Amino acid sequence: MDRRDFIKSCSLVMVAGLLFGCRKTVLDGLGAGEGNLRGPSLKAFEEEVRLAMSQARGRLDLVRVNAPGKMKSAGLLEGSNCNNRFGMAIDLDACDGCGKCILACNMENNVPLVNEDEAARGRFMHWIEMRGGVPFMCAHCGDAPCEKVCPTGAANHTPDGISAMMYKRCTGTRFCGANCPAKARKFNFLDAQKLGLARKFNKDVPLREKGVMEKCSLCLHRLQNDRLRFKTESLGEWRGRGVKTACSEGCPKNAIVFGNWLDSESPLVKATSGRQLYAPRELAELDPSVVFIMGKR
Amino acid sequence: MYKYLKDIALLLLLPGLVALGYALYNGPASWAVDGNTFWGTPISLFVFWIGLAHAGTLLSAIFLVLDIKLDKRTAMLAELSTLCSLAVAVVFPLMHLGVLERFYMVLPLADARMNIANIRSPLVWDFCCIVIYGVLSLLFFGTHLAAGRFPGLSKIRKPLGWLLFPLVLWVHTVVSLDFAATFVPEWRGAFFPVYFIVGAIYSGLALVGCILWFEGYRMRLLEQLVKIGSWLLCAIWLWNFMVSGNFCTSAFIFAGLLPQLLLVSAIKNSRVGRLLIYVSILFGLLLERLFLVSPGLGDSVPFGLVDLGLLAFGMSVFILGFCGIRWYLGTAIEGESTFFGEVDDSDMVQVSERMPGEANAAAADDPEYVEPWRSYETRTLRFPMFVGVSLTVLFCIWCSAQLAYDNVELSLVQMAPILYPMSALIAALIVVGKAFHSEVVPELGSFSKKTRVIWSAVIIAACIVLAGLLGAFFGGGSSKANDARVHSAPAEQISNPRLIWNSRCSSCHGVDGKFNEKFVREYYPVPQKLDSARLDSIGVDSLVQVILNGRTNMNAYEGRLSKAEARGLVHYMQKLAGEAK
Repeated sequence: MDRRDFIKSCSLVMVAGLLFGCRKTVLDGLGAGEGNLRGPSLKAFEEEVRLAMSQARGRLDLVRVNAPGKMKSAGLLEGSNCNNRFGMAIDLDACDGCGKCILACNMENNVPLVNEDEAARGRFMHWIEMRGGVPFMCAHCGDAPCEKVCPTGAANHTPDGISAMMYKRCTGTRFCGANCPAKARKFNFLDAQKLGLARKFNKDVPLREKGVMEKCSLCLHRLQNDRLRFKTESLGEWRGRGVKTACSEGCPKNAIVFGNWLDSESPLVKATSGRQLYAPRELAELDPSVVFIMGKR
Repeated sequence: MYKYLKDIALLLLLPGLVALGYALYNGPASWAVDGNTFWGTPISLFVFWIGLAHAGTLLSAIFLVLDIKLDKRTAMLAELSTLCSLAVAVVFPLMHLGVLERFYMVLPLADARMNIANIRSPLVWDFCCIVIYGVLSLLFFGTHLAAGRFPGLSKIRKPLGWLLFPLVLWVHTVVSLDFAATFVPEWRGAFFPVYFIVGAIYSGLALVGCILWFEGYRMRLLEQLVKIGSWLLCAIWLWNFMVSGNFCTSAFIFAGLLPQLLLVSAIKNSRVGRLLIYVSILFGLLLERLFLVSPGLGDSVPFGLVDLGLLAFGMSVFILGFCGIRWYLGTAIEGESTFFGEVDDSDMVQVSERMPGEANAAAADDPEYVEPWRSYETRTLRFPMFVGVSLTVLFCIWCSAQLAYDNVELSLVQMAPILYPMSALIAALIVVGKAFHSEVVPELGSFSKKTRVIWSAVIIAACIVLAGLLGAFFGGGSSKANDARVHSAPAEQISNPRLIWNSRCSSCHGVDGKFNEKFVREYYPVPQKLDSARLDSIGVDSLVQVILNGRTNMNAYEGRLSKAEARGLVHYMQKLAGEAK
């Protein structure tokens, strides 16, 4: 082979390599950008919820708590009088553990699927999970330990009593996950968008990238939309009336009640009045906003 | 001996790099992560290496300030081991992050939206303390090294040693609080700082022992300290077992029981025996850290190849770095003096060089009365420390007045972790800076005045440029304070485009249309600046369509704004663009 041939074949190989690199891969087609509705089928999501429920371990050790009141740290939150504190009550007399709330939540919040490897380890991304046959999610503690240790301030408290996540500021130290006594936080171990595991059911909620923490947001986007409606239409003081979370909407037994603990007209206050409130033992001291109700007066 | 070590390290480096690359690419799922704590091998390795990093300087600094004679070679090797293990330790918390490129958000610097690192988090101060510790260790080592050429420099080693001694304890306490401040039951306990410090010193002593072994000599004092360390750690382990039931048997065997063989003189006096014991201590403490960071790991998730690779990476980088610097510095490290310890297998008596610190001590013992504020100690250490503490306190007071800290319960308690390290940093810089004064170190002072002026000017200019870069990077710049919020709007003004703009658009585009750069630059493409010519060229109708239907990063406002409101907004934009001119 003379030099000319050698150089020619080398450059051919390089061009072939470059072209191979440029080919349209299956992954490109799955990349879920903004507004991309492609992704796994709904059936895959349903199956994963079933799988997670069958693998569910852990129990809730419930103890009695008082009704959540104004947050202790309220005065620290910027420019707010903190007239709202959103939360939920889960009626364990009505709940039969069907798991419909999990699917409703996953679709509302674009919670991605996990691959087989993660599923085998029991690491699902579901914001709601079954613990002892009871749906359990982040309790939005008034005195949240996760927020105290987050180094970047990505986990923070809104004036409305929601423990919120700023995904763009999360560096993924996972300190919050380590410090949550109930382990309600989920970490994005996988790049769900690249792997085609995410599907954007709801355009109001962003898809989370790999390496950030996430958890129940109490359907923050619904509250924000309602608040904006109030602002634009100048309807007066906003108390979040009429807003429901996806799980409470999806519950066939109406066992999950969402509302404002500080608003006496809220369905939450009405549903819990005269009933005994419970919270998991490890969270009872932390002023949780999401509680369980059991037994009549 | 170092030759074989280097070969082994090179052999380990390749799998180590592969594991590191894979872990960086694949994210935290690639190593064994305990479902309870979300952490895993990198954090264990971080604690392990930061522990090793503490003992070297501590050994050197503590011996110096307590006037225990240590020969130059041992001290310098210990200090070098500190620097190398610190460099290795820094890699692990960084690679452990979920989103590596955002690591700078842990720094306590505010961005333009007044998002600031959460100063209540131990991690923030952990980061700062370790950086300061690294700088001071480097200064300490550099001074010692340079003292070979400028003997006068050894005068400032003792003040630096006094600054470093508490800093070592301080930093490791802060590291331990990362764990002790959490709700993980296995980590809760006020004994954690002591436990971590003891563990760190103990592992560091073993490392220094290994290094001296490879250098070909031994230090009997070190062996005794190792024994004491093992007893202390065993006591803490047993106490912890009785209190909480947590116990790592393998660590107890390797790092608790086996070192007791040092009591047997046949083993203590055999070269191989000593090495095996030191290695067993290091191995046992590594197991202990793995157990500590992920208490439930052993049962659920196996220790994978990536974990082993990361372990290999740490070891090989340390060995290569250490051997490389050792080889490069060569005799500069060794010094002329005899060993404090003894050459292997010989019963040489201990001899010492006369320490420069001793001369100072003798000077201080001078019967002539000196006022306390003029004494040698005041000039070299008390004054710099005073300046450091006052500047730090001023800094804390300044911080508490900052807008960014309004949302956290800021108090001195929260700033406490940084108090000493910051004071020490300032004091150390003053101590080193003073060395350039001719009175303190004549050799350095003998540089011509011009040279000194030029160098100071260069250093000051570099600091200013650095600060400016930081400012430019973090400044961003929100266009205007957003006082004009819509919640003060009277009811009849709902269709007022200004209010809609302020409530809906200003979070990204800015109240005055010059958009909120710090926030918006996370998007690509960056939105256009308001510009009359451009607005006119696009036309009102297209702009209305953009507002209603959205575009790249712009949200669609259909259903939330009526067409008339969108049209009003476009006119308002045109007005803003006109004003901007």
